[in-house]
Amino acid sequence: MLLFRDEEHVDRWCRTRELSRGATMTPEQAWRLAYGWYKDKLKPDWRRHTLEETEALLADVGLTGAFWNLRD
Amino acid sequence: MTTSHADLDALARDVRVYVFQQAAATGRVPQAPEISGALGRAEPDVRAALHHLAVGKVLILASNDGDIWAANPFCALPSGFRVDAAGRRYWGICIWDALGVAAAVDSDAVISAPCGDCGDQMTLEVRHRALVRADGVVHFAVPAHHWWDNIGFT
Repeated sequence: MLLFRDEEHVDRWCRTRELSRGATMTPEQAWRLAYGWYKDKLKPDWRRHTLEETEALLADVGLTGAFWNLRD
Repeated sequence: MTTSHADLDALARDVRVYVFQQAAATGRVPQAPEISGALGRAEPDVRAALHHLAVGKVLILASNDGDIWAANPFCALPSGFRVDAAGRRYWGICIWDALGVAAAVDSDAVISAPCGDCGDQMTLEVRHRALVRADGVVHFAVPAHHWWDNIGFT
């Protein structure tokens, strides 16, 4: 996951590498995603999020749709 | 040597806690010899525990030597994603992990990262668990279902 100056820079990066465009989010969304994902990582009783917990986190951050689908 | 799944699970837990707490406390991700010394366990057992953690997607091992590449969100090597937080310098393997360092250490943080296209440095800042300085846009190249197909590229 990379940071870009703006959407135009994302488009150019994808074109240069002949990659399909993925999905973009705001830094605020990325922060909320990172906070939800990592805030407990240092705790001894930490465990991986379940599929359902991850889906809920993505939805809470506003990341919905096929790109964010975690299931087959 | 570790002889049972229960032993391996228990050691993996101890290794996990040590690795992540050391990374947070020092900014440096410990490797197998240091972990072995700290926990008083044989290095092959520690490496088995690290492999177990990698299989569980708790951390990522380098493909060449089996050392820890990233105990996410902490990158073991300097990268383009620099985090200054709690008086220490950390690194992330991507912008998500760089922000994740601030979350994991629960500290104000200044994050410096290059534009993936032009390389210009950009700065994000976290204060009191809120993003107070934002710049740019974050791009995920890989759909969520395939993140772990090639986590290095993701």
